[in-house]
Amino acid sequence: MSDRIVSIIRALIFIVLALALCGVIFSIAGYSATGMFQAIIDGAFFRNNALTHALRWGMPLFITAVGVAISFRAGYFNIGAQGQFYMGAICAAFAADWLNGLPAAIVIPVCFLAGTTGGALWSLWPGLLRLKSGADEVITTLMGNFLAGLLLVYVTSGPLKDPSGSGQQASSTPLDAAYRISTSAGLSPVIIAIAALVGISMWLLVNRTAYGVLSGLAGRNATMVNWQGAKLVNIGLASFIISGALAGLAGTVELLGPNGRLASGFLPAHGFTAILIALVANLSITGIAIVAFFFGGLASAALYLPVIAGLPATAIEIINASIALFITAKSGVIDRLVRWRKGR
Amino acid sequence: MHDIIIAILRSGTPLIYVTLAAVIAQRAGIWHLGLEGLMIVGACATILTIVATGSVFIALCVAIVLCVLMSILFWFVVEKLKANQIIAGLGLTGLGLGGTAFAVEAIFGTQAAVSAEFGLPRIGPMFGSYGVLSILVVLMPVCVIFMWVLLRRTRFGLRLAASGEHPFAARSVGVRTDLMRLAALMIGGVLCAIGGAELAAGSLQIFSQNMTAGRGFMAFTAAIFGAGQPIGATLAAVFFAVVGAAGIRAQLVFGDRVPHDLLLGLPYIATIFGIWLSAKLRGGTKAVTGFGELRDS
Repeated sequence: MSDRIVSIIRALIFIVLALALCGVIFSIAGYSATGMFQAIIDGAFFRNNALTHALRWGMPLFITAVGVAISFRAGYFNIGAQGQFYMGAICAAFAADWLNGLPAAIVIPVCFLAGTTGGALWSLWPGLLRLKSGADEVITTLMGNFLAGLLLVYVTSGPLKDPSGSGQQASSTPLDAAYRISTSAGLSPVIIAIAALVGISMWLLVNRTAYGVLSGLAGRNATMVNWQGAKLVNIGLASFIISGALAGLAGTVELLGPNGRLASGFLPAHGFTAILIALVANLSITGIAIVAFFFGGLASAALYLPVIAGLPATAIEIINASIALFITAKSGVIDRLVRWRKGR
Repeated sequence: MHDIIIAILRSGTPLIYVTLAAVIAQRAGIWHLGLEGLMIVGACATILTIVATGSVFIALCVAIVLCVLMSILFWFVVEKLKANQIIAGLGLTGLGLGGTAFAVEAIFGTQAAVSAEFGLPRIGPMFGSYGVLSILVVLMPVCVIFMWVLLRRTRFGLRLAASGEHPFAARSVGVRTDLMRLAALMIGGVLCAIGGAELAAGSLQIFSQNMTAGRGFMAFTAAIFGAGQPIGATLAAVFFAVVGAAGIRAQLVFGDRVPHDLLLGLPYIATIFGIWLSAKLRGGTKAVTGFGELRDS
């Protein structure tokens, strides 16, 4: 058995274990576990247009997850994807608001520029704190998520507040239809092209450039890379910036695409799901494309569950969290099996 | 002046309990990012059980049992399945946040906050304006001193520190490092349950989704800021509580002139400052488990 197949089997075994834990939790809460899973699978992959929905949710997740993988493989636990995603959306919304009235051919590129820059900058300061002072990036990026969430609440209820908006959730003024890159259904050639561009360019970056090789090595053995004369600080900062920029890009896509406006606390699970996708795919770009589609299906099931099946949407959160709990596990059983096969 | 001290004690006490949990886990060599999840489970279980049974004692027991069970699960995944501590910890947190939201929705059918008719017993009017504080606030200094004695003055504490800092040395004198970590995580589970109970039932008697709002991560940072020492980490937690109270104070003073969402961010900024300062003082704070081992499986 090749190592790749072993790692896929291992991931599947632990996902099954995680789902068993979810089943226990669902049963304790008084739901039928099989019914719950049935509804989730229906919602994710078998209802009408399910595959389109899975793609719609999978595309932005794919972009963010590739960014997460870029920083994880360089050895940095940049878990601030959520905050960088919000900052991207916020900056793009400010750009759109500022340029409102100009032709779309100017506004849309500027929005993308603002969004990716915003995400990159929100990733840069934890990177600087980590590489210049040694402050653990796990905590700083996590706190960055909380701060970006508060900033989003502030922006949507302050500077960009929709004056005509009512109801519980504060939101910004909807964008002009001309500036949108997709309808609310959320799938359009532009978004697919962006995701494909990200996928191909990042695959090339990781697999065909010196940066890709060095950052992969730095994640495994930073000391060695340092001794060979590569600049660890530059590699690290580049990883932080790229991962933040991609999360910001995903935020821009969500803003100009399906959402069309900023809403306070929108897509609160985006960053965590993206981290999960990167880990389940074992940080491989092609793997992320496949896994993102599945988690995109789960994300669309979260909207389907309460409306059609009458079940709480938080079931999806539980599934994602259980998978996170188990996904990095290294089972002694499987490793022993592999060793036994190799030994023969 | 008194009301500021009361505010700091109220917001600081839950944080200090969870900080002690972070300290004991860190000394055992575990970077415990699941504290947030344990804390919210403690908070949720306390309020829901008070609503269901009307007994604060049973509520505390249920919260403690649930948190200890989750801690054992975390121990199993991290110690026996060798999962990455950071990701598994975040998973545990997600399980706590998602599971409590799920439980509330399953029982009450809405995502709205749940309020209980009464909370933890208060220390009573004989203490003047301090009478509104719950008994867990009074118990907190006792707990801090107990943890200091346990970690710094007992054989158990020494072995625990050895299990974290030099597992090989610990094993060579016959210490079961895995069981030491289990003990540390279980004690941590009890502390998180108490911290969550104080947060939910200590003053407001209400449970709402995501009400911990990052306090578990702040506690984790306080343990780093306090160099893994119970007293130092407690002082760090007090510092975060003071910053939080100052933010609330500033809202009252400035009113609408300063956006209050941004003042709510002060504790997070203080946390970033704390982690940066500890890195400056002690030359880097890096997780014991690098990511390399995950990839080279």
